[in-house]
Amino acid sequence: MSQFSVIGKSVPKVDAYEKVTGQPIYAADLKMQGMLYGKIIRCMDYAHARVTRLDFSEALKMAGVIKILGPEDVTQNHYNTGACDEMVSDKVGKLLGDLRDQSIFTQHVRHQGDAICGVIAISEEIAERAAAKVIVEYEPLQVFMTPSEAEKAGTPQLHPEKPNNMAFQLPEAMFPGNSYGWGDADEAMKEADIIVEDDFYVNKQKQCQMEPHAYIAQVDGRGRLHCWSSGQMPKITHQKIARLFDMPMSLVKIHSTTIGGGFGARLGIIAEPETCALAMAVPGRPVKVQTLREEDWIISESRHAGDYWMRLGFKNDGTPVACQARFKANTGAYFTHASGVPFTTGAWLSGMYKFGALGYQGESYFSNQAPAGAYRGYGNPQTNFVLEQLIDRALTQLDIDPVKWRLDWHKGVGDDGWCFGVKYPSCQLTECLKQGAAAIEWDKKIAAFKNQSGVKRRGIGVSVMNHTSGATPMLLEHTVTTVMMNEDGSAVVSTACSDLGQGSHTVLNQIAAEALGLDMHEVILKTGDSDANGFDIGSHASRTTYVGGNSILEACDDVKKQLMERASRHLDTAVENLEFAGKTIFTKNNPENSITTAEICRLGVYNYMDPETGEPEGAPGQIFGFSSHFSKHNSPPFGACFVELEIDTETGEVKLIELVHTHDIGRTLHPAMAEGQMVGGAQQGIGMALTEEIYYDDQGKALNSSFTDYKMYGSSDMPKMKVILVEDPDPHGPYGAKSVGEAGLTSPVGAIANAVYNALGIQFKEAPITPEKVLKAIKENGLNFA
Amino acid sequence: MKERAIELTVNGITLNITVPVHQTLLDTLREQLGFTDTKYGCGSGECGACTVIIDGEDSLCSCMALASTLNGRNITTAAGLAEFGLNAVQQAFIDQTAVQCGFCTPGMVTKSTSLLRKNPNPTEEEIRKELEGNICRCTGYESIVKAVQQAAESFPEANSQWDNAVELKAGANS
Repeated sequence: MSQFSVIGKSVPKVDAYEKVTGQPIYAADLKMQGMLYGKIIRCMDYAHARVTRLDFSEALKMAGVIKILGPEDVTQNHYNTGACDEMVSDKVGKLLGDLRDQSIFTQHVRHQGDAICGVIAISEEIAERAAAKVIVEYEPLQVFMTPSEAEKAGTPQLHPEKPNNMAFQLPEAMFPGNSYGWGDADEAMKEADIIVEDDFYVNKQKQCQMEPHAYIAQVDGRGRLHCWSSGQMPKITHQKIARLFDMPMSLVKIHSTTIGGGFGARLGIIAEPETCALAMAVPGRPVKVQTLREEDWIISESRHAGDYWMRLGFKNDGTPVACQARFKANTGAYFTHASGVPFTTGAWLSGMYKFGALGYQGESYFSNQAPAGAYRGYGNPQTNFVLEQLIDRALTQLDIDPVKWRLDWHKGVGDDGWCFGVKYPSCQLTECLKQGAAAIEWDKKIAAFKNQSGVKRRGIGVSVMNHTSGATPMLLEHTVTTVMMNEDGSAVVSTACSDLGQGSHTVLNQIAAEALGLDMHEVILKTGDSDANGFDIGSHASRTTYVGGNSILEACDDVKKQLMERASRHLDTAVENLEFAGKTIFTKNNPENSITTAEICRLGVYNYMDPETGEPEGAPGQIFGFSSHFSKHNSPPFGACFVELEIDTETGEVKLIELVHTHDIGRTLHPAMAEGQMVGGAQQGIGMALTEEIYYDDQGKALNSSFTDYKMYGSSDMPKMKVILVEDPDPHGPYGAKSVGEAGLTSPVGAIANAVYNALGIQFKEAPITPEKVLKAIKENGLNFA
Repeated sequence: MKERAIELTVNGITLNITVPVHQTLLDTLREQLGFTDTKYGCGSGECGACTVIIDGEDSLCSCMALASTLNGRNITTAAGLAEFGLNAVQQAFIDQTAVQCGFCTPGMVTKSTSLLRKNPNPTEEEIRKELEGNICRCTGYESIVKAVQQAAESFPEANSQWDNAVELKAGANS
């Protein structure tokens, strides 16, 4: 029997009943008395232009139009929609060169979709019609879309404070030689028997969360600004909005609505500033801004595309002697995550294998693309696509089996992790590789696929990954929890941790229930209220279970300590003689001498005087547990992905046959949800490898901002999936858990690319590997499969 | 703005309403009648988040139909399926943890219910084919397919939990 009552069990999700009946309130579902509707006018015709004329006169004549605001009618303060600027000290932020370079409305359009002005009207329809009557004239400017164009002499400067459009490079003061790693990679490379090297391009992928962004803002009678937002970092939103409008945080309240998926898109803020600015122009009236899908596509940050060069050196026996790499990320029109992603891209690289020396250079460049930012994986899938392919290219030359080599050379317990100061506390990657290889019948298939004929060719590939559980030690890791014990012994856990749909509220509820010895329904999470919840950095870096969970454990321990102290008084014995058994506390040598926690809690609240003794009936005061938890640890999860696929060499179609996803996520707290993260993550990893990319025309206009033109894997496209979770409780995670949220996306990317390589003997340097590219490569390589 | 008076039955309740002729059924449901369990995901019939059941069996993207053309028709939303307790599909979605962010769920549930009413014993391939028009970005579809398979086992419709008391009426144009 399990040592736990709810941990490790696939209990019903706390929000499942409501969700299957469509009852949760997403921002778009809110309707309020006197509500007005805002429409943001965005530049859709140009990716780079200057506004030369703005004329509201015709639009203002329309019945039902309340106000129209232009760039000069709103605060001139700048902001950064990302969140990295809030997570490092001012000193580090300065070294990194983080910028707050965005404004609510702009006269300098830097990407298609930049906001110009906003209409407020009595209905959504009137707002839209009025928006069409606003006259905006532009002077088109030279458009540049890639890092190589950005750094060319003569290209316009998008942000004057960053010469040559270079938004970021690893700063010399923190990374000598602007390089991250260890040893002298140049020198070490000289020792190599073979060297593999290439230039890759990684694609711009869109989160495609199903809920389009929607917001409501309202200034109440006391002058308080309320914002209903589906952001995944409500406390960061709180801070950013208060600062933007020069208001104390007490005069800003963030109401978190149900989140319809995020995958990074809702990290930081998106159109909260525009919505709040509109609401401030009509005090008292709520203003709702509902974005259309096409608009959603352009205004929220995507994955960073970029140019990725890598060189690897090996000894003939497979010893990896050196790794050198340079990633030039395309941050798009604004700074956003220009410092974060190029750093972590190299961090994941450094965390994977035991190279003798490693040197990585990470840079970001501005361009006239819509801004890039956080997307599940945060640099890791980019590295996986490049590193795992180059490894396999070398192994082909060395005639070493890809699984065997990875078993020999992956990092593990005690090795330096992905970030300086992090040593891996637990790692079951070896077991993941072994079990995955067995499940997909690696040895049998790798031999069989060597002798194929016909137009359809099978391939098998493997890829490994490590990720993170929170952002310690790079970024602030802090979650506050309070646990209020009701007078019947049930509990209310208050935390700002958000649930994007992945199930974190269910897992946090499990953790609290387990710790307090209560049933799931005896614990209620109070979230989504910036007045009630203490600080939490927000849902990112796969941190909520690991850091939020540990914060809840700490607060529950505080409750238990108080319960034990009071039980000691009630039972007239020392705390050491007591045992906490969930709803009851008893003395170890005489279990009948016991008291229920419900009774302790009741007496604390209803603390009457005993008329006979003149003494209070128990210890007074309602019990509150508290934790302000800073995560000292980081326990990265590991995974190995195996893919079998079939390529039709006449059509270029890549058909996935099976995907085996093995992961070490420490102890699994909720098996069904963990599996859901893995399968759902794989769906997005498959998309990155094979089908998903935002395409632009040469003037920077997006060509495929719709679900028809942007191909995601659908219900019939998904391969047979097998998820294997290798359990190994981590010493630091709550109940031994490590993170699971982002882990599932990364390794399928490299595994698919390697399976394609196995099938055709061709490596694809540009993701995604579309049928067009496959056919072209077959032709260019002069291959004939008939 | 042209309007038209129609009779529309939503989740078993017959309503006489006036709708602008260009208003989609989605907007009628959400904005005019307050059935926000039907979701706007794309507005162009690509994602299926707005799927409702029409006349008891067929499904429809409500963003692709004008309410004014649906005089006399019978609409069921996800909330309507649970009028007398969860239906088998909804229960199966909970049991199989086929719910993550929940935004596609009402459309998935109505679409799957429509499928099972027409084809009580679908193969896995048929289930996947039927759900092609409904996008889920969270689950990778595996748990959703399992949920529909579980629901199919609790068929037939004789199961009182399965069907609600929606009254089927012939439309004015039929």
